[in-house]
Amino acid sequence: MRLGNTLSWVYLTALFAFVFAPIVTSMVFSFNSDRFPTVPLGEFTLQWYQTAFSRPEVWTAFRNSLIVAAAAAALSTCLGFATAYTDFRYGFRFKNAYLALALLPPTIPLVIMGLAMLAWLSRLGLSGTLPGIIIAHTVMGAPFAMAICRLRLQQMDPSLEAAAWNLGASPWRAMRSVVIPFCAPAIISAYCLTAAVSFDEFIVAWFVSGLNKTVPVMILEILQGNVDPQINAIGTVVFLTSMTLVIVAQLLILRKSAK
Amino acid sequence: MTEADPLVDFSGIKKSYGPFEAVKALDLTIGRGEFVAIMGPSGCGKTTSLRMLAGLETPTAGTIRIDGKAMNNVSVHDRDTPLVWQSLALFPFLNVKENVEFGLKMRGVPASERDARAMLWLDRMGLKGFETRRIDDLSGGQRQRVALARSLVTEPQMLLLDEPLSALDAHLVIRMQGVLTKLQKELGITFVYVTHSQSEAFAMADRVVIMGQGEIAQIGTPQEIFRAPKNRFVAEFVGRNNILEGTVTGGIIIIDGTEYPLPGATEGHTEIVVAADRMEIHDTPPSTAAIPADFVSEEFAGTGIICYFEGPGGEELKAQVNETQLAALSPEPGQRFWLSWSPDAAHVMED
Repeated sequence: MRLGNTLSWVYLTALFAFVFAPIVTSMVFSFNSDRFPTVPLGEFTLQWYQTAFSRPEVWTAFRNSLIVAAAAAALSTCLGFATAYTDFRYGFRFKNAYLALALLPPTIPLVIMGLAMLAWLSRLGLSGTLPGIIIAHTVMGAPFAMAICRLRLQQMDPSLEAAAWNLGASPWRAMRSVVIPFCAPAIISAYCLTAAVSFDEFIVAWFVSGLNKTVPVMILEILQGNVDPQINAIGTVVFLTSMTLVIVAQLLILRKSAK
Repeated sequence: MTEADPLVDFSGIKKSYGPFEAVKALDLTIGRGEFVAIMGPSGCGKTTSLRMLAGLETPTAGTIRIDGKAMNNVSVHDRDTPLVWQSLALFPFLNVKENVEFGLKMRGVPASERDARAMLWLDRMGLKGFETRRIDDLSGGQRQRVALARSLVTEPQMLLLDEPLSALDAHLVIRMQGVLTKLQKELGITFVYVTHSQSEAFAMADRVVIMGQGEIAQIGTPQEIFRAPKNRFVAEFVGRNNILEGTVTGGIIIIDGTEYPLPGATEGHTEIVVAADRMEIHDTPPSTAAIPADFVSEEFAGTGIICYFEGPGGEELKAQVNETQLAALSPEPGQRFWLSWSPDAAHVMED
């Protein structure tokens, strides 16, 4: 038993080391004064952060990414919640087809999605604009938001909404004062998760962003030029932002389903 | 029972889901201040009828009137028909007081009045000091009382209850039955109580409606239902009854070739019911007519012991005894006994 325990701890440590080593390395080198990532390390420095964030295009990229993430997450969450509610509340013909369609986008290869979006958005005159990227990321995020909201709605007693009507709440009022409060943790969590998906997303953004680059697109462009520790600095900031969003989302989901 | 000015009037109500007829024909009036229990096995249409009264389901045909007003086009939230749900359906994200206030809030009652009325009902339900508790932190009985307070805080004319006690422990059920009957008497409002449990229905209701397969099988006081079941369905549903088939000629009924007195019955083929507690057991053939029956088993049933026998045609017969009587008989499986009843214990079923 003791041995088994030790082995599972070793396994777990190795697993996490394997997953996080590259990220941790990148973080460590972002504070290293040497130009090239070599061991032994040089001195501790913040210069790469200073250089990176003194470039206006880095700020623009972060601003773009934040706007896109905030808007795409809001749209995805609204769409996802509405789809999940429809599934919860109504029975209709072709419901399975409806659900399958709603859950389809993540199964499409990203390159195909990027190409299709580029063609489609150019037709609409939205290619290379922030609304274009927002639309693309909404398509990608909505299925995740729906899955999360659906999970929460499955935990809801179907009588709960009817109980609100029975006590004098109109359908809209019941939605506002019962269904949405009940789903609030899932809604916030869906928002965080879809924001993280959008903030990190590279391939589709690369196809449709044009001159309005998001952070991941900009990182690639810097990388293509030369290997620069500024990448480590920017990467660290991106990683911490996404991780925070994902952790908030997970905490909200876990806290509520533990009850 | 017909009343000049009933509170609720179901007339010609039908409800079907596709080819399935949940309620086939329902004509029922419920009086003001009456405690009516609608009882029946699952799938008999009792809950559907209650949901139609609350506006949660739309009748396929017929009209429901409340206070003389047709309800066909009145939506759920405009009816004053609060329901105590089987699952209670308390709002888990609101505390006890917020749950109780909900109905008042939806009706636009100002905050200060809401507060006062909610506190009054919490006090009345013995929930003082629990205002800010979370629903998850309450016991089953406490939740039950929150659900009652939440439904009654708007001072409705009637309260609908859908098997509200089915999730409680037996001792709590008895306590809550007391709470409910007392409440109904004090408030003087109509209670419509749906249940599959006859002990609940018989203990509380003024009038019991037995439903089977979407139709009313019998309406009557608990005693009428128990002592004078109208048909085989009711007699079997109520249980602890012996149903015997025979032919009536001139004040006697002939069952399996044996003559039993049955004064005043109409001639012809008929079914009679003898309640288990009216059946007498003899270990030697009595002087009066009796059915020979072989003992099968006994069942302790709280108020007495039900003895099961097999009749000459293999039918199940029941007789209720007390513990002293059982000890005196000390029946062995397979042992032959004779069952008899006095003529006034036999009830002739109508259909």
